[in-house]
Amino acid sequence: MKKSVIILLSILAVVVIIIVSSISTYNGLVTMDENVSGQWANVETQYQRRADLIPNLVNTVKGYASHEKETLEGVVEARSQATQIKVDANDLTPEKLAEYQKAQGAVTSALGKLLAITENYPDLKANQNFLELQAQLEGTENRINVARKNFNDAAQAYNTTIRRFPKSIFAGMFGFDKRAYFEAAEGAEKAPEVKF
Amino acid sequence: MKSFATFILLTLLCIPLRAQQKIYTVDNIPKVHLQNKMQYVCNPADILSQEACNEMDALLYTLEEKTGIETVVAVVPSIGEADCFEFSHQLLNQWGVGQKGKNNGLVILLVTDQRCVQFYTGYGLEGDLPDAICKRIQTKYMIPYLKDGNWNAGMVAGVQAVCQRLDGSMVNDGASDDEGMSGGMIILAVIGFMGVAFIISMLAVRASTRCPNCHKHALQRSGTVLISNRNGIKTEDITYTCRECGHSIVRRQQSYDESYRGRGGGGRGPFIGGFGGGFGGRGSGGGGGFGGGSFGGGMGGGGGAGSRF
Repeated sequence: MKKSVIILLSILAVVVIIIVSSISTYNGLVTMDENVSGQWANVETQYQRRADLIPNLVNTVKGYASHEKETLEGVVEARSQATQIKVDANDLTPEKLAEYQKAQGAVTSALGKLLAITENYPDLKANQNFLELQAQLEGTENRINVARKNFNDAAQAYNTTIRRFPKSIFAGMFGFDKRAYFEAAEGAEKAPEVKF
Repeated sequence: MKSFATFILLTLLCIPLRAQQKIYTVDNIPKVHLQNKMQYVCNPADILSQEACNEMDALLYTLEEKTGIETVVAVVPSIGEADCFEFSHQLLNQWGVGQKGKNNGLVILLVTDQRCVQFYTGYGLEGDLPDAICKRIQTKYMIPYLKDGNWNAGMVAGVQAVCQRLDGSMVNDGASDDEGMSGGMIILAVIGFMGVAFIISMLAVRASTRCPNCHKHALQRSGTVLISNRNGIKTEDITYTCRECGHSIVRRQQSYDESYRGRGGGGRGPFIGGFGGGFGGRGSGGGGGFGGGSFGGGMGGGGGAGSRF
């Protein structure tokens, strides 16, 4: 009789410990998951910021280099395609992320070409407005890189946590899945580099 | 032997040259602001003159007093192969330049071997000092001097332009908030300490008036006999009589003779605790002046602009 009571009590204690630790694990994972989503929102904001800069930049370049139609249209085209892709933070599959990355990479390379041709127009390069637009664009590229890095760090920390024992058990139970993150920079994703 | 001596001599000659081309990283740049809160310019290789540094320090101190914006100006000969933007990004975020929450930090970096100047703004400054303005300040005010290697004039002109731009952009409430917090904590701790000391001394006084016979707090001093007075320490036998039951006791007490050598402080047994508390409080409450500054823990996300010249 007494033995069974002890056994019951110890089982109860174990159950309580499991419940308490699973609650704290769950809450911790929710926080990390939300952090990943927040960082993703930041990435999107910075890409949007770049998209907002493009019309102004294109118009400025057009004033000096109107016959570079092809390049200018390339930028506008890539921009409109990229802005159509919206990725919800909670539905961030590796495929969607790759698609997003590809579209934004196309904008990056189109912009790179545009900046390369501006080298041929000394008047344009001397234009204060253009210089400042260029600085804004560079700043935005920098912000994009920082935001992407922060997002990757958050996603990787989260992925590591849900794969490590014993949290992996709870993560599996509550359906916390791995988050996708940006792969290493492809050729198209590198910041425009202009060298002569 | 002679050639060996020449070799040694040449090596010795090379050392200062090499030291000058020391490669600075975010970790080995001296954080001068932490040693002296009036200093904002890190000039470890003495590229700038002392006058230029003083001028910028004064400007940036005023700026921080008015707006709370924290600035670091770093002037180094080389950062190796590192990127100027990357470098200032790490510097701002690792040092935590800017107030926490407001993120109003600013890093101005000049690397002379790469011939680059970089502004890096914290999240909170991106609106008041947008990238375009950073670029404009660089091209208009700094590069004309920097191009000719006139580092002093270029940097001072840049800092002047930045201060002009940021003057009145925000109000310095967070800084006093942050520092006020710790100041408030110190004051609270002092008050608490003094309060505890006061209560203890009151209790001690109360306990000493307790009659051991009838347990009432009614002991009264009724007579004193001086036992000795040596080196300013007075030993007395004090007679206490209870007002309630008439019971009398004798206690031996030592105290500093107040008239001895004109000594000021009088430590009458139970009150020693009280005096100690007061003094300790004043000690920790002082300070300030030219002490070290601090960084609030601001963050940045890639704002600012850079130029090569």
